[in-house]
Amino acid sequence: MAKTTPTYPTQTQPFSARQRVSNRLIGLFRISPTAVIGLLIILFFGVLALFSPWIMPHDPVSSYTDRVLQAPSAEHWFGTDGNGMDVFSRVIYGAKYGFGIAIPAVLLSLIIGVPVGLIAGYRGGLLDEVLMRFFDGLRVFPSIILALAVVAATGQSLLNVVLVLGVLDSPVFARVVRAEVLALRSSNFVESAVAAGNPTWRILFVHLLPNAIQGAMAQTAVRAAWAVRISATLAFLGVGVQAPTPEWGAMIRQGAEFMVSGQWWVALYPGLALICMVFGLNLFGDGLQDLMDPRRRAAK
Amino acid sequence: MTLQRFLLRRALMVIPLMIGVVFITFMLVRVGGLDPVGRLAGPTATQAEFDSIRENLGLDRPLWEQFGIYLGNVVRGDLGESWLSNRPVLTDIKERAIISLELLALGVGIGTLIGVPVGLRAAFRPNGRFDQLTRILSLLGFSIPTYWLGLVMIFVFFYLLGWAPPAIGRMSLLVSPPDTITGSYLIDGLLTANWQAAWSAATQLVLPVICLAIVSAAPILKQTRAIAIEVLASDTVRYAHACGLPEHIVRRVVLRNSAVPVLTFVGTEVTGLVGTMSLIEYVFAWGGLGQYGLNAIISGDFTAVQGYVLALALFSVLVFIAIDIVVHLIEPRSELS
Repeated sequence: MAKTTPTYPTQTQPFSARQRVSNRLIGLFRISPTAVIGLLIILFFGVLALFSPWIMPHDPVSSYTDRVLQAPSAEHWFGTDGNGMDVFSRVIYGAKYGFGIAIPAVLLSLIIGVPVGLIAGYRGGLLDEVLMRFFDGLRVFPSIILALAVVAATGQSLLNVVLVLGVLDSPVFARVVRAEVLALRSSNFVESAVAAGNPTWRILFVHLLPNAIQGAMAQTAVRAAWAVRISATLAFLGVGVQAPTPEWGAMIRQGAEFMVSGQWWVALYPGLALICMVFGLNLFGDGLQDLMDPRRRAAK
Repeated sequence: MTLQRFLLRRALMVIPLMIGVVFITFMLVRVGGLDPVGRLAGPTATQAEFDSIRENLGLDRPLWEQFGIYLGNVVRGDLGESWLSNRPVLTDIKERAIISLELLALGVGIGTLIGVPVGLRAAFRPNGRFDQLTRILSLLGFSIPTYWLGLVMIFVFFYLLGWAPPAIGRMSLLVSPPDTITGSYLIDGLLTANWQAAWSAATQLVLPVICLAIVSAAPILKQTRAIAIEVLASDTVRYAHACGLPEHIVRRVVLRNSAVPVLTFVGTEVTGLVGTMSLIEYVFAWGGLGQYGLNAIISGDFTAVQGYVLALALFSVLVFIAIDIVVHLIEPRSELS
């Protein structure tokens, strides 16, 4: 009988990308079950946004002139608004605006903020000093006031809201990346890359970026929550997206006047949807930060 | 560094910041798409009327010249007149600043009184039931749109229950406001023994203050918890434990050592909460500086926007200086710099 060597389950190869993702998710659930709940909430709104034409019982922008301001009923679950439009369908459609603004805005912030942070952290000196002072100066103003002023001044379109939010939020990512680069700048792998004659752009984007990006990625969900919230606030103030667009903030604006006369459903439901989506993003973002920041995890 | 020298240095540092702020807002409102001329002239205006308005406002001159004139006026304490109401911007801002400060101080004050003790308690038993609950609640607080919360509160407490007065501003229409001393109806009513006015002002304040307190408590709670957890792991607290001090004394040590970072955080939060407060003012028709600023921005009233932004920047800077001083008083070790 041949002697068999016992085999032990060993990990001989590095994890594949897919395994890494699934490991992360399992880790996420262990560390923070609330983050998984957040993820589920986000997925729920994602389904609403993607499949809204099949979920919505009515057209979100066609008005039933004979059914203005009707209370919730079997036909209109969330009632109808001042134009006789179905609030339920409009709330579902609103998820599209949530994602449609948040995702490109956060991507834009990353595209601007990450390189700025890389360069400022690596170069240091006057450029870094000026940039950081400028970002500090921006902090003097509440973000909503800043966003409102810039959108009002540069033109009120959906695209502009996305651009403004993306630009205004980029310092958040720049700061995080800069801090990481400062810590990595004098480490051996960077110095050897310099010694090997790599051009600066290659050191920045090939050597430093993968090591410095994690903190920024951990911020993305929370920043998306911010973008959803601020864009809705702008619409509530009548800036950017205009009524009767089925955007949640604009819908709350439409419903505001009816709150004192008792037609609560027009403003209540879009507000609830907004809270749920922002809450989901915040829950997920909170867990994401715990997962990627060992110090925060240890503090738990 | 002595206090006087510190204040002097800070005051000097404010000047370049202010010039920068004036410059950026000036360029932003003019280069951007805001055009008050069309609104002022009305739909039936002729080209000649357009031109004369433009000339009256000085908009026909080159940008740098407009900026020079404006900066010169600001230095002399003249913020110009609102283009829409023709009232001096400085007077408008002075009158309204007190109104907003009253709301902000009460709201953030109560928010701090909620957030700090709750955050500390959560930190004493991390991941306990209380901690889990407050963590969810504070995340919820982060997620609630302020203006929506205000609307729902108006609906519930005014329309449904009838407990709160209508959201028509700072005083019931049936009560005549008290004589002006500070500008805050509540304080003026109390000072002049005008109880009716003071009561009306107080009842009007309740909903907006609660609203602001809820929204401001969330970040304060979260940050206090994080700070206290770090302090709990510090050598100071470990030493206190090692000495066998009773739990309530150790907690006092934690509180004392968390005070400075918590206070600094509240100070930086106040600036952001000005935005939140503006929205609350907007919903409750409060008529303070926040609402004034929002309206000025939305309606494209250049001079009013510039004055408002300047006031905001000045306020933030003053808050930061005040925090530095208070921190120095609590912790004389810390340098004023």
